[in-house]
Amino acid sequence: MIEFKGVNKWFDKLHVLNQIELKVQKGEVLVVCGPSGSGKSTLIRCINKLEPIQQGEIVVNGMSVHDSATNLTKLRTEIGFVFQQFYLYPHMTALQNITLAPVNVKKIAKAEAEKIGREKLDRVGLAEKADAYPAQLSGGQQQRVAIARGLAMSPEIMLFDEPTSALDPEMIGEVLDVMVSLASEGITMCVVTHEMGFAKKVADRVLFMDEGKIIETGKPADFFDHPQTERAADFISKILSH
Amino acid sequence: MLANFNFMVIFEYLPLFLSGLKSTFLISLVTLVLALITGIIACSMRISGIKTLQYPAIAYIEIMRSTPLLIQIYFLYFGLPSLGIVVPEIQTGIIALMLNSGAYIAEILRAGIKSVDQGQIEAGLSSGLNYVQRMRFIILPQALGVTVPPLLGQAIVMVKDTALLSLISVAELTRSGQTMTSERFMPAEAFLTVAFFYMCIYFCLKYLADWSQRKLIFREVY
Ligand SMILES: Nc1ncnc2c1ncn2[C@@H]1O[C@H](COP(=O)(O)OP(=O)(O)O)[C@@H](O)[C@H]1O
Ligand SMILES: [Mg+2]
Repeated sequence: MIEFKGVNKWFDKLHVLNQIELKVQKGEVLVVCGPSGSGKSTLIRCINKLEPIQQGEIVVNGMSVHDSATNLTKLRTEIGFVFQQFYLYPHMTALQNITLAPVNVKKIAKAEAEKIGREKLDRVGLAEKADAYPAQLSGGQQQRVAIARGLAMSPEIMLFDEPTSALDPEMIGEVLDVMVSLASEGITMCVVTHEMGFAKKVADRVLFMDEGKIIETGKPADFFDHPQTERAADFISKILSH
Repeated sequence: MLANFNFMVIFEYLPLFLSGLKSTFLISLVTLVLALITGIIACSMRISGIKTLQYPAIAYIEIMRSTPLLIQIYFLYFGLPSLGIVVPEIQTGIIALMLNSGAYIAEILRAGIKSVDQGQIEAGLSSGLNYVQRMRFIILPQALGVTVPPLLGQAIVMVKDTALLSLISVAELTRSGQTMTSERFMPAEAFLTVAFFYMCIYFCLKYLADWSQRKLIFREVY
């Protein structure tokens, strides 16, 4: 479903992705963790071509992401992306945020798109907030709207870049709950997060990155309880003491 | 001092002032439209990300902003004929003002567009919106609110800049004052009247600017 083949990427001299080999199966939930600056965001941003790569190939649903012949719009409609900072459109209501792409990219009729949009809002527990503007919503609610916005395109893959890192602690749970229920529905998910509880509960695999390299992968229980490398052990002890 | 002013002369010259006001108004209006078009083109080129478009736009904007308008006017006024291009003063003046204001407008537009969070643009990209759709649905609605007030500010500056065209004998408002001064030698009355008319235009535009500020600025807090 998602495959990295010998991917290398540099920001000027900084080797931000170093010879990445990775396969994510359909329906798999992958958690990516690692120290700040290790290239986690860059890794998942390459999957929908928010970032170019200099070497190698990424294949998503049979499409070569960085091949200029690939239909990028089609690729992106199959991938939902949730950002750390939500990035809702502040001049639109929650529902307008959600229906913008279905109406204009997928060319779904407005009434139908609104119906889907309300379903997705209901899905993230915000049915009554359809007409609220982002500024009227709490961080946790905004992030749930952002998830609903991604879901409204009926993507096969959802990518999350530290979706709870910008939230006050009391709001983290409501967002994680939504993500847990998504995971049980068979959507392929790649989640950059340090939420160990989430990883242990739903992740099929945890991937640990450092300095642009994949250092270790494993089942969440194995990884967190018996890390194979010193760097991973170090990192885990840090997030535990945090 | 005011008692020494000869207001009767002002009334005598009123038709001249009004025709000056009219041409100042028309020159400003035409220039503003042309400058907006110039600004939109220069801004589009500047943000295009294509070097062969970007560099000429940057050069144009920086030259206009780094040199005095009067020099630009003189340059065209004396320079164009020496290139064999002979156009009436009024058109020379409009071209100079258009080029000058266009550069400032390009930067105002660019600032408005840049004020939209890059993350929102990435959110649009991620959901498959194309360039035109991102502009139309995400960037422009937010950029417009922050752009209109400074655009009107630039319009105010530009109206006052039209006074410089009197120096290349364009018959506008300031020129009317000069005419009255040279015929009657009453510069105080003449330029007081001229100033009054500029103030009238200024307050109309300021009113528009304030109104647009209230109406158009997108508010974070509802
Ligand atoms: N657009 C960019 N230009 C230059 N360097 C960047 C850019 N984005 C990220 N980096 C650098 O690449 C490295 C990896 O960044 P990132 O993928 O955001 O790490 P993480 O998400 O793991 O914290 C960091 O050192 C960061 O400073
Ligand atoms: Mg990151």
